[in-house]
Amino acid sequence: MSRKLWWPPTLACALVLVLAACADKSTPATQTAAARTQLPDWTGVWVAADTEIDISGYPTLDSPAGMALDLLNLKSAPWTEAQQKWIETEVPKLMAADAVRRAQGWGFPLMMEGVAPMQFLVTPTETVILNFYRDIRHVYTDGRALPPEEDRWPTPWGDSVGHWEGDTLVFETVSVRNGSVLPLPMPPLSPEARFSERLRRTAPDRMELAMRIEDPAVLTGPWDLKFEYRRAEGIDRLIHDIMENDRSAVEGNSLTIAPPPR
Amino acid sequence: MQRRYLAQALAAFVFAGATGHAVAHHSAAMFDQTKTVELTGTVRLFQWSNPHCYIQLMVKNEQGREEEWSLEMGAPMYLYNRGWRPSTVKPGDQLKVKLNPLRKGGRGGLLVEAKSLDGKPLGKPVSGAP
Repeated sequence: MSRKLWWPPTLACALVLVLAACADKSTPATQTAAARTQLPDWTGVWVAADTEIDISGYPTLDSPAGMALDLLNLKSAPWTEAQQKWIETEVPKLMAADAVRRAQGWGFPLMMEGVAPMQFLVTPTETVILNFYRDIRHVYTDGRALPPEEDRWPTPWGDSVGHWEGDTLVFETVSVRNGSVLPLPMPPLSPEARFSERLRRTAPDRMELAMRIEDPAVLTGPWDLKFEYRRAEGIDRLIHDIMENDRSAVEGNSLTIAPPPR
Repeated sequence: MQRRYLAQALAAFVFAGATGHAVAHHSAAMFDQTKTVELTGTVRLFQWSNPHCYIQLMVKNEQGREEEWSLEMGAPMYLYNRGWRPSTVKPGDQLKVKLNPLRKGGRGGLLVEAKSLDGKPLGKPVSGAP
């Protein structure tokens, strides 16, 4: 190589090294801000696309599909024979007992039906899914693994980790306690259930969640579900629920409305 | 207003004998959703509160004596989405309402519709899902 041809590549390499060194000096805050611009915009409040709740707290006929909660359609799940028998004998008893039960929140997976308005807060290290009943899921995307099996304990929301595939959040959830938080018959899954989800925005005002539930203890195969959400145009903030004025009083085997303050 | 209930979905999909279920924090079995009662009265109190909002409505009975009704609604979040705010209803307002009465009887029920005396719905009109 002649001297004339030798020095330009050397200069270019030096320039690249200098630029790389400058990049390394950027602060963590700068890196975080840069990473955040790569994440999708899921701002706003979201609700089930096919459900409109009126002032009574119930869906209206304006709701194209009423409030047919897919997760409560227990006949759509591939239950084992033993679990099917358990459902037939025990769920009616649970529902009868629920006549006087009061609770807050939906728990997971029922909260993902989106009947209770919810938000998806996307950060570089985790996505937080929450609704106005203060059900909160943390989906960590910082590369961590699920907790080791010996350190897990079931909760109403489980443990979740995930990663991004383009603008789709792909995540796994384990350690879900099968307790009905609402007076609703939660799908009777076992604590060994594993949930695989893919969450993405499909249009400016639409999001979609595909969920696969695998639970060899009570299911003979995967249970696949899909949920669609729309922006709740009437909601510009979440007003969280709290038992500040619970006037539901037990009277015999049902509830009634307690007298008001004078 | 015609309404559709989760109980119907459950009855169709899950188990016969299922009772109604609230979106909120308790079962709706306490209300008779097959019956609708219409009342006209004056608001004594509006509770914008969780887990439910309530309207205390003073209604004259057939003898002309005032009786107080307790009307349960959804949580503030659901009302907010229908255009209601804490100032939407005030003491002294006169309302026409429809409710599903308590199964046990008594002056109370689940408020399913509220209008001013000239027939205007409170809050923004129901638009339905787009």
